[in-house]
Amino acid sequence: MQTALQYIFSGLAIGGIYALVALGFHIMWSTAKAVNFAHGDALMLGAVLAIMGIDVGLPIALAALLAVAASCLFGVILERYAVRPFAKTPTSIGWMLTTIAVGIMLEALVTMQFGGFSRPLPSPGVDKALNILGAGVYPQELLIPAVAVAVMLGFVWMQRSTLIGRAMQAVAFDRNAAALMGIDVNRMFAISFGLASALGGAAGILVAPVTQASAQMGLILGLKGFAVAIIGGVTSAPGVVIAGLAFGIIEKFVEGYISTAAREIIGFSIAILVLLIYPQGLFGKREVFKV
Amino acid sequence: MSARLPLFGFGLFLAFLVVVPLTATNEYELRLFMLFLIYAVVALGLNILVGLTGLVSLGQAGLFALGAYTGAILAVRLGFDLVSASIAAIIIASLFGALLAYPTVRVRGVYLAVITIAFGMIVENVAIEWQGLTGGPMGITGIPKPSAFGIPMTGFRYYTVLAVVLFAVVVVTHNLKRSKYGRAMLAVSQSETAAKSVGLNVTGIRTLAFVIAAATAGLAGVLYAFLNSYISPDTFTFSDSIRFLLMVVLGGAGTTSGALIGAFILTYLPEYLQQLQYWQKFAYGLLLAVVMFVLPMGIVGTAVVVFRRFVPRGRSIDMGNAVNIEAVVRQSVAGQTGSAELVASNLTIRFGGLTALNNVSIRVKPAQIHALIGPNGAGKSTFVNSVTGFYVPDEGRFELDGVNLTGQASYLIARKGLARTFQNTELFGDLTVFENLMVGYQRRLGYTLLDAALRTGRFRRQEEECRRAAISILAFVGLGDFAHEKARFLPFGLQRRLEIARALAAAPRLLLLDEPAAGLTTQEIEELAGMIRQIASFGISILLIEHHVDLIMSVADQVTVLDYGAVIASDTPASVQNDPRVIEAYFGTATVLEQAVS
Repeated sequence: MQTALQYIFSGLAIGGIYALVALGFHIMWSTAKAVNFAHGDALMLGAVLAIMGIDVGLPIALAALLAVAASCLFGVILERYAVRPFAKTPTSIGWMLTTIAVGIMLEALVTMQFGGFSRPLPSPGVDKALNILGAGVYPQELLIPAVAVAVMLGFVWMQRSTLIGRAMQAVAFDRNAAALMGIDVNRMFAISFGLASALGGAAGILVAPVTQASAQMGLILGLKGFAVAIIGGVTSAPGVVIAGLAFGIIEKFVEGYISTAAREIIGFSIAILVLLIYPQGLFGKREVFKV
Repeated sequence: MSARLPLFGFGLFLAFLVVVPLTATNEYELRLFMLFLIYAVVALGLNILVGLTGLVSLGQAGLFALGAYTGAILAVRLGFDLVSASIAAIIIASLFGALLAYPTVRVRGVYLAVITIAFGMIVENVAIEWQGLTGGPMGITGIPKPSAFGIPMTGFRYYTVLAVVLFAVVVVTHNLKRSKYGRAMLAVSQSETAAKSVGLNVTGIRTLAFVIAAATAGLAGVLYAFLNSYISPDTFTFSDSIRFLLMVVLGGAGTTSGALIGAFILTYLPEYLQQLQYWQKFAYGLLLAVVMFVLPMGIVGTAVVVFRRFVPRGRSIDMGNAVNIEAVVRQSVAGQTGSAELVASNLTIRFGGLTALNNVSIRVKPAQIHALIGPNGAGKSTFVNSVTGFYVPDEGRFELDGVNLTGQASYLIARKGLARTFQNTELFGDLTVFENLMVGYQRRLGYTLLDAALRTGRFRRQEEECRRAAISILAFVGLGDFAHEKARFLPFGLQRRLEIARALAAAPRLLLLDEPAAGLTTQEIEELAGMIRQIASFGISILLIEHHVDLIMSVADQVTVLDYGAVIASDTPASVQNDPRVIEAYFGTATVLEQAVS
């Protein structure tokens, strides 16, 4: 019982990170019908820059804020120069490869600057573990899923109730019609990539105190975030958050009772199995296309 | 001349494979060249996936590792020789390929990239952790020296094995590229919708492409294991997957020579990049970015474009081989002959709260021209989309010659002899006019994958028939002067004509034309009317969706009028024209009209 509770808590924490990454994919996909394959690196950038900020003596809040801003900027620049030039081709191969290229270069640069090893981000959230029904939990671990849910609710609210949110949806539905209605389509793309990358950076800062940060952390977290987006349905914000949290919990149980290799195999097998049975994801809408 | 070019290329490559080992000065040089031969096998397979279907795999290293481990384990534990180990590895890699591709590519091509990255990582993890089978981080040592049927295959003999395998893979992949399979892959990457409408199984074709890429990677893996006689997990990382992809993109995706050149460069380049240490990975990323921005078509692709700028290819085609058009479009396919009758009964389609089609029953009689008209939003296109399988009706059914087709996939319906055009033209934009027609002809080509790989007599005969039919259809629609022009460069009116031509190439029994006159000039509409009458005279039933009353009145045998998703009249053109309900639907009630006038 106690062990199970422990797995659930730590599963929710890592699951919250997957959910935040998947939300980023959701935001980019639902606006631009393209994603950033270097999205995991936006997360890594957030974590690494926050640590470097603290290294030079910035207070933790300011370092985190600057790191998130830098991640956001990374997303905007990437969209402008790596995604947009290839957005109009019939296949997605162009922006896939350019964003992958940027991701590889960024990871290599950070490895050289930051070193090839992992470092923790000091945070008040991991100073002292709480005891909940016998399971030890850091406040940070409770914070992560809460942030994921809050961000999801905020984004849904933004889509429904703000002009920018509605404009983003209009662009997703039909970018030409949206442009005719006076919506600046390119700006919407930039905003969606910026927002997604900012969330990615924030996720990196949130996870770094728990799992440590390294130049290589982005690849696997980005990948799992995408798997979660596939499972939950990349078109559904609540769907990817639910899937992310569930994915995190399942991982912890598999890891605890079987092995870490089994964790990866089972995790990605679930993604393939879900695709087989629910091609649009568990909570995704079927996209009706007009011919 | 262009038919001879591949043979010349093959010969040149063969000579290269013979000369290199003779000039190699030491064992290290020869070994490096042998690595190139192995990597080139991976690149050629991946080239089919990336260059033709436009999909990306970032897990080729995983499939390469799968082949290597399968071969090594079978050789060490069960004494398999080179041949049996290779066959086993190809089978295993292909199975995994199909397992990964099928669920993924039917949703979104992008998913394949993600799932393959994951697969590569899982293979690496399993290789490290399943010590009992894979030897863990230490890998597998003592892989026996390669032998086939009891004959040792070491040293120069192994070089010969590799060279022969690579040469065979070059020939086979190149042949596939120039067959209906290659054309189908290109078509699918251009327009999924159009591909389905000519009877292509989009998921099947993409899966096939990935299986080919997986099989070649698996084969290359075994060859690597026997060359090295030692394998360990760190030879098969994500970076290697990137490198394989880079080979294809750098050389020029979709070209056989490009894959070879890319593999060559990226076999030798890392030998120099090793001195850069950390910068090596950065260099891969930079190279990928530079290729995408500066040489998006790769080395060979760009060279071809430059060459064509100086030596342009003629747009027209020799029409000497044209045969009788009626014989071409009326050919019986898979036992289907004659004109078809379409009976739709009580079709209902709802989009959320909107009922786009409400209990619609339409009967298109054999060899008749049946017009479907109605104001904008009446449900005309929805009807076409539902009887062609693009929408699934909520209620009701439709039959072609008494065979119920409700709920079938669109490509299966197309294979029953139902061809269509689209309101917003859907062409294979980067294929030439001629290639568009050849893809339309696809369902009539019965040769197998093996026929295509080996260019058998059956393959040649059927391809020749296909070419001849395409020429005849070009002559019929008057596009002979544009045969080698890319479809997307055609003026709008000709694009519409090409769509009809592509539909005809499938030898349809029922042709659905979705607003073929939209955007055409008066003269073009007159030509279209003549063409429609002629097609009907071949015995092809036609369902014509149109707004142009003149066109309908001049060609239709029967007219059905839709309004707000329901049939309000169905009769001869003359009586429909005077039907008060029809007039009301188009112009409003008489009183409203009077008020407007007064």
